[in-house]
Amino acid sequence: MSKSKMILIVDDDPDFRESIRIILEVSGYQTDMASNGREAMECLQSRKPDLMILDIMMTTDTEGFDLAFELKNSEQYKDLPIILLTGFLEKVREEGPDEYQHILGEQWPAKWLFEKPVDHHRLLNKVADILSDG
Amino acid sequence: MNRENGALGLAGLPRELEKRKSVLLGELRHRTLWFIRLRWAVPPCIIAGAFISSMIGFEFQFRAVVLTAAAIACYNLALYIVGRSIRGEDQNQRQFIYTLTYTQVALDYGAMFFLVHFTGGAASPLIFFFIFHIMFAAILLPTRWAFFFAGLASAGMIFLASAEYLGLLPHHPLVFRGGAIDLTKHPSHMAVELLFFSTSVFVTAIFSTSIQRMLRKRILKLSQLSETVVSLNDKFESLYQMMQHIGPNKRLDDLLEAMTAELSDVMHVRGTSIKLLSDDGRRLRYEAVYGLGDNFFKGKIIDLTKSSLNRKIIDGQAYVAGNVTEREMFQFGEDLEKARIQSVLFVPMNVENRVIGILGAYCSRSDRFTQNDVDFFKLAAGLVSIALENARAYQAIDDLIKERSWFMLKLAHNLRAPLGAMHSMLEVVRGKYLGDISEKQEEHLRRVDRRVGSMIDIINELLILAKGRTEGGTEMTQEVDLAIIAGRIHRTFQDEAEEKGIRFDVHVSSDLPLIRGNNQALEQMIENLVSNAVKYTFSGGRVTLEMSAENQGKVSIEVKDTGIGIPREEKPKLFTEFFRAANAKDVEEVGTGLGLAIVGEIVDQHGGQIKVESEEGIGTTVRVIIPDHL
Repeated sequence: MSKSKMILIVDDDPDFRESIRIILEVSGYQTDMASNGREAMECLQSRKPDLMILDIMMTTDTEGFDLAFELKNSEQYKDLPIILLTGFLEKVREEGPDEYQHILGEQWPAKWLFEKPVDHHRLLNKVADILSDG
Repeated sequence: MNRENGALGLAGLPRELEKRKSVLLGELRHRTLWFIRLRWAVPPCIIAGAFISSMIGFEFQFRAVVLTAAAIACYNLALYIVGRSIRGEDQNQRQFIYTLTYTQVALDYGAMFFLVHFTGGAASPLIFFFIFHIMFAAILLPTRWAFFFAGLASAGMIFLASAEYLGLLPHHPLVFRGGAIDLTKHPSHMAVELLFFSTSVFVTAIFSTSIQRMLRKRILKLSQLSETVVSLNDKFESLYQMMQHIGPNKRLDDLLEAMTAELSDVMHVRGTSIKLLSDDGRRLRYEAVYGLGDNFFKGKIIDLTKSSLNRKIIDGQAYVAGNVTEREMFQFGEDLEKARIQSVLFVPMNVENRVIGILGAYCSRSDRFTQNDVDFFKLAAGLVSIALENARAYQAIDDLIKERSWFMLKLAHNLRAPLGAMHSMLEVVRGKYLGDISEKQEEHLRRVDRRVGSMIDIINELLILAKGRTEGGTEMTQEVDLAIIAGRIHRTFQDEAEEKGIRFDVHVSSDLPLIRGNNQALEQMIENLVSNAVKYTFSGGRVTLEMSAENQGKVSIEVKDTGIGIPREEKPKLFTEFFRAANAKDVEEVGTGLGLAIVGEIVDQHGGQIKVESEEGIGTTVRVIIPDHL
């Protein structure tokens, strides 16, 4: 497990952001934090993260989605892996393809989606998985 | 308001007259054809009469009489052919029918004079047959024609007798057993005979025309009555239609539109409108306008302080105008003028002695509305008012329910975020990311976390419930393949059941039809049922999910377990929110009590039925029947 990987956490809930930061840092990752899409873009420009953990609903209901789509469509960040987080899985289900299994299909900007409250072990395993591939 | 009475008195006169003419014309046509049929009997009768008369000893111009009978048969054939071409109530044929009538009467007269001339002139016993003709004329034609023909018969006979007497025409005396009855030789006798003949025909004309006048009046009255019955029937029908609109599930706008359309139709008017009174009672707003064009009135507001006319109607008076010339009386007079409205009728709309608005009717003909219309319109206004109040009440209830559900939804959303954060932070401490904690602390935190988790569960389930109850919350028109859902449920619960030592089977019959509904909701429903079954069944038990086709495209979903069962006395409360059976709490300390409430809600949404069979300690079978369409 590479210990110098940088992970950007984007969530508007400071307590939630903080708890994710702690488990990631204790697990040996470097972290950067942003509370909305605009801050996230600033962080992306100043330090290049290896992974982004991104909440879908922030200032607007789809702010996280919008940002993820923007990144996927940009030359510079299209390869940045993104884990989406949502507190409202049924809303995501409605807006996306019918079945949960297909939720992370081709037209989606991320390959991974976690429902809040997040199981920390699963999240850590997934992060390790993604970053070791890279 | 004096104009009102005048308007009522004159209303609809030209139309009435037109109707009356049409009824009489129909009658005339009918009788003309009847006489043509009747006339077929005349030639055989004449010929038979001629034979019998000659056999008993009368001598007269036999050949001429038979020829006349043949002539009658000929012209009757012509009349028959022409008469058949008259169709229906075609008003353009009026002149034609009259011509046909005059022609046949004139022809009959000609034939009569011939017959009389050849059977003894003034002495002919046939002259009294003229009386039949007078009667026919009285029946067929306007009354003055009966007198005309009476005069014609009388004058014709005097002319014929005089001509024969003076030798201008040959005289064919009637001879009986050798003795000639020759009145030309007894002029005074002939004069008396002709005087009595003339008197007879005129008296006949007087009697038959007066009887005919009475008959005509009665026919008209009958036709008016039947017309009234038809129009009353239409109105009742329309009132019934309007009553059908009184009930739930009606949007106010739709209701008003339906009612104005219905009223315009049944009253045969250009348009109708509904104005509703504002809460403060100072303004009237046009809520629905039918038949007067899109821009007409709709949404416009009348200030009651400036409209004495509308104030009077609101005070309970009906208003009728038959000639809308005083435009200054109307706040939107120019609109009336543009639409060429001549007659208007306004009645107040009452609910329990409270006026809620004004119902209006508009017609481009002047003096259109009668007292009958006013009475009917008042009745209709009453019904419209009740329907309106009803719809408003339902809407208010509906709004309240939606508001409550919306509030629940908002509340749940807002509670979930902080709970999620709490859970996450607890996990950080419990996972010892912030340093070691004692076993006691860990145990305590575990319990806190469990309670947080159950709160999140409650909120999630409340969200599902609330969403189903808010407008448009659940899309019900998806095509649902229950077999796919069954597969997913199988995978979801397989491991859990295995861990608990429970056998979990899923059976889906091969002929299971697709149904219409909400995919996600139906999956949620089955998930809740299976989750309960697995939760409350002990090791060694069995849970079965079975889906099969029922008749009429229905689908049966059955979840069967060998679990703890439901106590008999608690069964009625099963689908109530937050209810948990006593024995369920013994097995599982924490639970939301919302799972079955959600099941009930989803079954309702799909128009389905649910049946629970259970025995404590033996097991439970829940059977849901979903129809194929909604």
